[in-house]
Amino acid sequence: MNTQKTILVVEDEKSLRDVIVDILKIKNFNTLEAKNGIEGVEMALGKHPDLILLDLIMPEMDGMTALKKIREDAWGEKVPVIILTNLSATDEQLVEDMVTHKPIYYLIKSDWNLRDVVAKIEKILETQNAI
Amino acid sequence: MIRILKTKHPLFAAHIFLLFVLCAVFYAPANIYAAPEVQTTSAGLISKVAPGELLPISVKLLNFGNGSKVDVSISYKITDMEGKAIYSAEETVAVETTATFIKTIQIPFGTIPGQYIAESSIAYNNQVAPATAQFSFTVEKKIFGLFQSDFYLYGGILILVSIIVGVISHFWIKRRRTMRFAPEDYSDIPHGERVFYELISDTVMGMRAQVGESALDIAKQIDGLVIDEKTGRVLKLTAKPSKVVAELVSGYEKALGKKVSFSFRNS
Repeated sequence: MNTQKTILVVEDEKSLRDVIVDILKIKNFNTLEAKNGIEGVEMALGKHPDLILLDLIMPEMDGMTALKKIREDAWGEKVPVIILTNLSATDEQLVEDMVTHKPIYYLIKSDWNLRDVVAKIEKILETQNAI
Repeated sequence: MIRILKTKHPLFAAHIFLLFVLCAVFYAPANIYAAPEVQTTSAGLISKVAPGELLPISVKLLNFGNGSKVDVSISYKITDMEGKAIYSAEETVAVETTATFIKTIQIPFGTIPGQYIAESSIAYNNQVAPATAQFSFTVEKKIFGLFQSDFYLYGGILILVSIIVGVISHFWIKRRRTMRFAPEDYSDIPHGERVFYELISDTVMGMRAQVGESALDIAKQIDGLVIDEKTGRVLKLTAKPSKVVAELVSGYEKALGKKVSFSFRNS
């Protein structure tokens, strides 16, 4: 795996954020952390990470709003995003937003263990490298 | 003169029968009776026996005596191919012209598997040399009621058939799964709606992989969603696509208690 890849983790729950960051570090990723949507957008647009792991329900700015803002940016338009949330897509507007702003994955936290999520991250980045 | 014949009957493969016909002739220069006859009776043949099992021998004595009973001494012996006896017995039978009977010999439990010879001989009156008849048979251990060689043969066939069936099943299931879970192509759908078709199709496919055909049944009940009942291919969306997706996700949550994750195709 490319050790230079940087992952931005946007997650308001510190304990979960720490676990994700720890696992990513073990896998030799560089990590950036943001605890809400505002910080996430600033960090994404300022640091240009290789991939963003994004929670949806967060204080100050929710994840979908943050994703919209990131997608408005020329760089952010194509950055791979994985949504990691406990929010089911049972709302029409959420589905519309999801389809419009196209994360690569919309993963329900309770259904996925973090190692599988990291495996998906690795696969996405490998694919991007190949391209 | 004494003649001994042995015949095998091909129809009874499960048992060994040795037809052991002994024909005794009175040794009398002035014999006024008809020449002795030899008769054979058919008998099945078993070629293998396990230690401890009974070996049946069919014995027929012909043309003994002169209308009155006479005692005939019969010796039985089982030897290995080197001539070492593992069993021997002797009995006397009263014969009035002819006698037919089945003699059973129990093969000793400790008999080493291999080829053996069963030998029978009679001594009668002034007979100079005893008449004998013999046949060979195999002693073989049994495993689960089958002779060792049969056990390995049938076991080998069973394993071979199992492997073949397993390999065929594996590829058949794999092919079926590949066909069932291969993403459907919606390139004919206009770009704006295509992503919804793909999203719904992949979601149904993913849920089918998790919970089986009930995922298809739930999808069929969603208003505005028309899908192929067998493949799960989305045929038509007659309601707002985002509403169909939301209701599908909601339907799976309610019916199966499972939240739905999505993956988007690269486009």
